[in-house]
Amino acid sequence: MSETTGHAQGNPKKGLIRGPQDFWGGLALVALALFAFYASSDLPGIRGFQFGPGTAPRLFASLLLVLGAGVALTGLLTPGAPLERYHLRGPFFVTLAILSFAFTIRPLGLIIAAFSSFMIAAFGSTEQRWGQTLIVGIAITAFCCFLFPYALGLPFQLQPRFMLQ
Amino acid sequence: MTDLFGNLALGFNTVFQFIDWTIPLLGVTIPIPVNILLCLIGALVGTLVGVLPGIGTVATVAMLLPITFGLPPVGALIMLAGIYYGAQYGGSTTSILVNIPGEAGSVVTTLDGHQMAKQGRAGPALAIAAIGSFFAGCVATILIALLGAPLTKFALQFGPAEYFSLMTLGLVFAVVLAKGSVLKAIAMIVFGLLLSMVGSDLETGASRLAFNIPELADGLGFATVAMGVFGFAEIIRNLDAGAEKGRELVQQKVTGLMPTVADLLAAAPAIGRGTMLGSILGILPGGGAVISSFAAYTFEKKISNNPSQFGKGSIKGVAAPESANNAAAQTSFIPLLTLGIPPNAVMALMVGAMTIHGIVPGPQVMQKQPELVWGMIASMWIGNLMLLVINLPLVGIWVQLLRVPYHLLYPCIVIFCAIGIYSVNNAPADVIMAGAFGLVGYWLIKHDFEPAPLLLGMVLGPLMEENLRRAMLISRGDATVFLTRPLSAALLAVSLALLILTFLPMLRKKREEVFVESEN
Repeated sequence: MSETTGHAQGNPKKGLIRGPQDFWGGLALVALALFAFYASSDLPGIRGFQFGPGTAPRLFASLLLVLGAGVALTGLLTPGAPLERYHLRGPFFVTLAILSFAFTIRPLGLIIAAFSSFMIAAFGSTEQRWGQTLIVGIAITAFCCFLFPYALGLPFQLQPRFMLQ
Repeated sequence: MTDLFGNLALGFNTVFQFIDWTIPLLGVTIPIPVNILLCLIGALVGTLVGVLPGIGTVATVAMLLPITFGLPPVGALIMLAGIYYGAQYGGSTTSILVNIPGEAGSVVTTLDGHQMAKQGRAGPALAIAAIGSFFAGCVATILIALLGAPLTKFALQFGPAEYFSLMTLGLVFAVVLAKGSVLKAIAMIVFGLLLSMVGSDLETGASRLAFNIPELADGLGFATVAMGVFGFAEIIRNLDAGAEKGRELVQQKVTGLMPTVADLLAAAPAIGRGTMLGSILGILPGGGAVISSFAAYTFEKKISNNPSQFGKGSIKGVAAPESANNAAAQTSFIPLLTLGIPPNAVMALMVGAMTIHGIVPGPQVMQKQPELVWGMIASMWIGNLMLLVINLPLVGIWVQLLRVPYHLLYPCIVIFCAIGIYSVNNAPADVIMAGAFGLVGYWLIKHDFEPAPLLLGMVLGPLMEENLRRAMLISRGDATVFLTRPLSAALLAVSLALLILTFLPMLRKKREEVFVESEN
C-alpha cells in the first residue's frame, strides 16, 4: 500500500493519462460490462410487471458500465498512481500448480497430484533450497494423504487409477 | 430476562454435550465433549492463521468448509466461528512481537504494540491485548444473546421490499467503510453482483451468462471465488513483494507477562470504548473487525490528553483496537443469525457452511433450531476463555512458527487450498476456476480495487434479485413500493444520506485521514 503512494508522490506522471492505474482499471470494467451486456442480450426482459431473467444482469451491467467509465475518467483527469509492474514468475508457477492439481487429481490420485503441484508451486520463488523443499514437499504430501482421506473421511483416491485396476 | 437465561442455558448445554466415542482397535467407549473440542480446534487454527501472514481468515474458512461435511451442524459452525475470533487473537501476537500484522484487523496494533515490545514491555502488551479481547468477547456474547431474540421478531415482519432496502443499506455501508476510493468500491460491489448472476435463473431456470459451459450452469461457487481472490491472489502478490523481507524477530525473551496496576488502570477505559465502538461497527452490515480497529485507534487518539504518545508505545493504542476487532468479529454474527444477511466476507462463508448442512440462515433458524444458534453463542464465550488461558503460555510457539520461511509455506497453502476447493464438489473444474479468480484477484490488487466489497456483492446478489423481483411482483410492477412502505423507505433514506455524506468533501478528507494514519 505505502509503496504505491510513495511512487505517486515521487514522480508525478506526465502525459495525457494522469492516473494510469485507475484509467486502465476502469476501462477494463467497462469492457467487462459491455461483454456481460452482450452475453445477456438474448435473455427475455421485463414482461408486464414481472422481471425476466435478463433484467437483473442487464441492470447490473449498465451500472458497472457507468461506474467503470467513472473510474476511468477519474484516472484520466486526476493525478494518481502509475501502473504497477506485473511479475510473471509467481503467477505463472502458482497457476500452473493449480492447473496441474486439477488435471492430475482424478486420473493420478492424491499422492502424485499433491506432491507435483507442491514442487511446481515452489518454482514460483527464487529462494528455494531444493533439498529442504523436497523434504517439506514429501512431508506435506504424507500429511495430506493421512488427513483428508483417513482423518476426515473425504472421498480421495490415493493411487493412480491404473494401479487400482 | 428469564428467556435470556433459558436460552443461554440451552446454549451451554449444547456446548457441553458429551458424545460416546468408541476408540478404534481398543473397543473402549468413552464420552468426549465434541463441541468443546471443536471449539478448541477452531480457536487454535484461527490463532495459527492469525499468526501467519499471507493467509487470511476468508481463505482458511473456505479451505476448511469441506472438513465440516462430516461434522454435525452445530459442531461445524462452532469450529468455523472459532477460527474467525481466534484469528483476531493471533494477529495481535505477531503485530506486537514482530511488527507484522498476521491479520488485517490488527494492522493498527503494530503502531503501539511493537513500540512497547521494543521497550521491553512485550509481555504487558500481549497481556493487555488478550485481556481486552476477552472483555470485548464477553460483552459481545451478551450483546448477541440480548439482541438476538428481539431482532429476530422484528425481522419476521420484513417483506421483500424491506429486505431489498436493508441489503442496499448493507452494501452502502460496505462502501462507506471500505478503504480508498468510494467509486471503486461501488464498482467492485456491482462487479460482484454481476458475477452472482452467472448460472441458472432462480425463477425461470434460464441459463444466464453461462456460455453453455456445464460447469457454470450452477453458478460460480462463492467459496471458489473467495479462495481465488483472497487465497491464491494473496500468495501471488506476496511472491512479488518478496515476503521474506522485514521479518526480523524480536529475539529477546518475553518476560513479565503481567501488566502493572497502572497499566491496567490506563487501559481499562480504552478497552471499554474500543469494545463499544467495535460492537456497533460489527453489527452494521459492511463493517467488521478491520474497520473497527482503525476506528477505535483513531477515536482513542482523538480524545486523548496527549495524542503525541500514540505511536510511541501507548498501552491505550494496543487496548482499544484489540478490543474493538474482537468485539466486531463477534457482533457481526448478529445480522447473520437474525436477518440471514451476511455483513462481511467471512459471514458470507458461514452462510455457505450453513447451506451445506441444510440450514437456511434467517429469522427462522432461531425459532426452529434454537440449540444451533444458542450453542454457537455460548461457544463463543467459552472459546474466548480458552484463548485467554491457552494463548499467553503459547506465545513462544506461535513466534517460532513465524520462522517458517515463506518460500516453504506458500506451496503448502497452495495445495491445501486446491484440495479444499476440490473436495467441496469433487470437481476439478472448481479448482481451475479458483485459479482463474486468483489471477483476477491479482489484477484487482494491481489496480488497487478492494476484493472484499466484490465478495459481499456476490453473496447478496441472488438475495437482492430475488427480493426485488418478489417485491415488484407483489406490488404489481409498481416501483414506488420501496418508498411507500415506511420501513423500506427509511432504510433507503439512510442509505442515500450515507452515500451523499461520503461524497461531501469535508467528510471525505476525514475518511482519508483515518486510513492514511493507519497505514503509516
